Amino acid sequence: MQHYSRKTASLAGVLFGLVFGLLPQAAWGAGERPAQLKVGVFTFVSGPAASYGMPAKNAADLMFESLNAGGGLAGVRLEPVFVDEAQGTDAVVSEFRRLVTSRHVPVMIAALSSANCLALAPVAEQLKTPMIAWNCDTHHLFLKKKYRYVFRANTSTVPEFVAYAAYLLQKKADVSRVGIIDPDYAFGHDAAVIFSETLRRFRPDSKLVVELYPRLGSPSYSTEISRLLAAHPAVIFTNFWGADLENFVRQALPRKLFSQSLAVIALGTTVFEEFGQRFPQGAVVGVLGDGWYHSPAVRANPQAQRFIKNYQERFHQVPVFPAFKMANAVLVVEAAYRRALRENKGQWPDSERLARALEGLRVKTLTGPLTLRADHDGLTDQIVGVSRNVAGSPYPVMADMVRYPGELVTPPVDADPIQWIKTLPADYLERLPKPGSYGP
Amino acid sequence: MLTPIVIDGLSDAALLFLVAVGLTMVFGVLRVVNIAHGSFFALGAYAAITLGLWAGALGLSQALSYGALVLSALLVAALFGPLTERLCLRATYGRGEIAQMLVTFGIFLILDDVQKLVFGVQERQNDAPLSLLGVCNLGGIVYPVYQIALVGLAVVVAFSLRWFLRGTRAGKLVLSVVHDAEMARFSGIDTAKVSVAAFTFGVFLAALGGSLASPITGAAPGMSAEATILAFAVAAIGGLGRVEGAGLAALIVGLGRAFAVYYAPAFDRATPYLVMFAVLLFRPQGLLGVVETRRL
Amino acid sequence: MKGPRALLWVCLAAAAVAVALASPWASFILTVALAKGLAALGVALLLRAGLMSLGHALFYAAGGYGAAYLARWLGVTDLLLLLGAGFLSATVLGLFTGAVLVRYRAIFFAMLNLAASMVFFSLVTKLYNLTGGSDGMPLPVPTMFGLKPGQGLFYLTLACVFVCAGGLRRYLDSAMGQGLGAIATNEIRLEYLGISVNGLLFVNYAISAGLGGLGGALAAIAIGHVTPELFFWTTSAQLLLGAALGGAGSVAGPFAGMLLLEGVRTAASQYAPLLWEMAMGLCALAVALFVPQGLSGIVDLPQQWKRAVQ
Repeated sequence: MQHYSRKTASLAGVLFGLVFGLLPQAAWGAGERPAQLKVGVFTFVSGPAASYGMPAKNAADLMFESLNAGGGLAGVRLEPVFVDEAQGTDAVVSEFRRLVTSRHVPVMIAALSSANCLALAPVAEQLKTPMIAWNCDTHHLFLKKKYRYVFRANTSTVPEFVAYAAYLLQKKADVSRVGIIDPDYAFGHDAAVIFSETLRRFRPDSKLVVELYPRLGSPSYSTEISRLLAAHPAVIFTNFWGADLENFVRQALPRKLFSQSLAVIALGTTVFEEFGQRFPQGAVVGVLGDGWYHSPAVRANPQAQRFIKNYQERFHQVPVFPAFKMANAVLVVEAAYRRALRENKGQWPDSERLARALEGLRVKTLTGPLTLRADHDGLTDQIVGVSRNVAGSPYPVMADMVRYPGELVTPPVDADPIQWIKTLPADYLERLPKPGSYGP
Repeated sequence: MLTPIVIDGLSDAALLFLVAVGLTMVFGVLRVVNIAHGSFFALGAYAAITLGLWAGALGLSQALSYGALVLSALLVAALFGPLTERLCLRATYGRGEIAQMLVTFGIFLILDDVQKLVFGVQERQNDAPLSLLGVCNLGGIVYPVYQIALVGLAVVVAFSLRWFLRGTRAGKLVLSVVHDAEMARFSGIDTAKVSVAAFTFGVFLAALGGSLASPITGAAPGMSAEATILAFAVAAIGGLGRVEGAGLAALIVGLGRAFAVYYAPAFDRATPYLVMFAVLLFRPQGLLGVVETRRL
Repeated sequence: MKGPRALLWVCLAAAAVAVALASPWASFILTVALAKGLAALGVALLLRAGLMSLGHALFYAAGGYGAAYLARWLGVTDLLLLLGAGFLSATVLGLFTGAVLVRYRAIFFAMLNLAASMVFFSLVTKLYNLTGGSDGMPLPVPTMFGLKPGQGLFYLTLACVFVCAGGLRRYLDSAMGQGLGAIATNEIRLEYLGISVNGLLFVNYAISAGLGGLGGALAAIAIGHVTPELFFWTTSAQLLLGAALGGAGSVAGPFAGMLLLEGVRTAASQYAPLLWEMAMGLCALAVALFVPQGLSGIVDLPQQWKRAVQ
């Protein structure tokens, strides 16, 4: 009986396998105009990362609504399909596959987390589905691999953290003793290397006295804060974000960490509202790109002003930069479709044509110009400043701002980024715009 | 450098002890390895934060948030203790570890979603109890007073538990059941009642740990899984069922982690499990565990 | 006993292939579920000897990381080589840990396995430059003799399931396999018969580690990425849940259990994204409280009733 069962079962398996092997693989999405365009949108809407991911989801909602209110894309309505990245990488990958293969979603805005981007990019490639990375910024994404369908609507960790180091150097801050506390994954480790290498290029005496990488989502940084206090660094650099950043700042504030050392809180602007005037004064902060809601470029852009107004009315918050990153990614999708439609005489693009339309695309985003380079990486400017409380504002603003042009802080296509940093010309800092040169 | 390491280690040890003590007590009494322990810890934290914020919103004195810490643990214990024991655990007594694991893991999974439904998926915080006590300067490093006070609190919990079990009638009843349930039943003790009371008390300890830790740690999804595994590590190192053991284990792991953060940051997370593996290899019953006899 | 089992096998295979035909995504889910089933089978093998591992994720993850390292260091993309690497790395790890751990029983065995897997979890998370830290590592799109296999992975997984299940059936029917049950009931009697219990358990542990590695490698290749979460205790608990859900008594049980779990999880995450854990938890409670023998126990229920009536 048992013997029989094995035989039957394997026979059944072989039979079904043969049948399936002869079936043609389903083909879809070629040339036909769909009733509506589904766009996969990946972000964190739960867990500790949600405080950073939710503004992006809100922004996506607003952007798709306003696109549809304006008639959609050549009459086709857009419908976002949200995926929560907090489910873990394997679930996110499986959702990506499901959206493509069983819900026929032809384009994805994915993802927030670098880990998820790194995992999803090969899947997008395999499924031949254009994927626009909207926040993940590990420079490893495009470093060794050439993708056909994967693009990034924002810059990488290299220009982002070269900018902070350049800002400190231009301001002639004391960078002799540096302490770093970053989250324990690519984003944190990459930033630490880029930041400290840039400092060392111009100030070889700059020393890393303490380097800590607590895990993502650590509930308590008590020991780490003691360690930082005990090391007495002149500069403390952190690129924590989301609940990690809130926890760290909340726990470090009463312990006077930020009055002992000059703080570089790279993503500090995202928690301005949360901390209000308690946010450390004079900390170097920025937006990992140009997504500052109060920059001259944003104030001069009527579409951006409408977006900010709608955002504040609906969500009772100012849009922090993740919201702008998402909004800009939606604009990239729109621009790519419009370009593909234009170049194909109004015929609805398949994924191949869409990917070709993304190549070299230039978009005027809500916050400034964005170019998708030959390596598919985004090129934008970098805004850095310091936190300052001003009369009449319940939370700090960015003061002493500078807007570094993207080309000046980004290594050229195919250059090894760390090598590029190590060989920056001696007069590099003089060629950059000066702190305080941008804005009111 | 040594002073901050010791202080950080002690305060970490206090948190670890509070995480683990409920687990080890429940194992001592019921012989149940309760995977859902971390869930009760997290529920305690959530309840304390919610109650504290309510008190704040009602304009009540901020000092009340300390009361909220204990009250929330009582609430969680009253709500979940008897229910879990009667409905789920009771059926597994004497059926071996696998059935227990399944049941408590099931409860763990269910409570994880209950937390999300009730308290949302965002991180929650109430640091009123933390900021109210201010900060102090120890050896040139600024610490929140609450964090230091927690060390004292953990010691108080440890000694009151010892006193309760050895010095009160209720505690002696519990111990008699632990020692020999059969004998206890013959001498007229309602072992079922003792079981439900003991489990509820374990839930209370778990929730108390969570609520006392909450001003420092906040509460967020995922904290139950972390609390469960840390509690397992500390309880196993000290000897399952041994309250003093949990204290000793918490000290070792807490100080070990603090030293790791200063001298070998790559190993700070692995410390509890490296210690656990090393200890269990040579003393499977744990540091203070006793072989084959049920003691508390 | 054997009739219903055969039926279960055929149903399993037919259902798997039929669902896979319905959509490519379903074949992906099935691949992952069956791969986890292989690992759960390893857990069930230990359960048979009365040992509960709370750390089997160690081997499941080692399989995935083994395959990922082969791709990362040597640029290998061949499916069979990747699978082999995963299987081998888990088996070797199993030989080492097994040599130490088979001396322990009951809760101590569970806890030591748990500790071992958590040590790996913490180190893999922290040693960023060596392991990619919490970002994990990518796996390449696999090739088979230079060809891109596409759906082939699913059929390869199915083949692995049948080969392993068949082989294991034979192993369990052998004297050695029969010994496992005897260990669970009375270890000392076995020792009196001159059988080395620890030797028996060691072989068993290594096989179960290998199964975990094979499953882990298959799942990792299907997903295309490994993260340290694979080592975390909740993965171990899920494998244990799958094994117990299906019933450790039969070879098909763990697969049925994992298919059910993944089915519940997939359905719940589509219709009630906040409730998939609760759905799985209810499954666990229901089985533990009402069907202690697991799903394969359900198959045997009619016979038990018949016996009861007679």
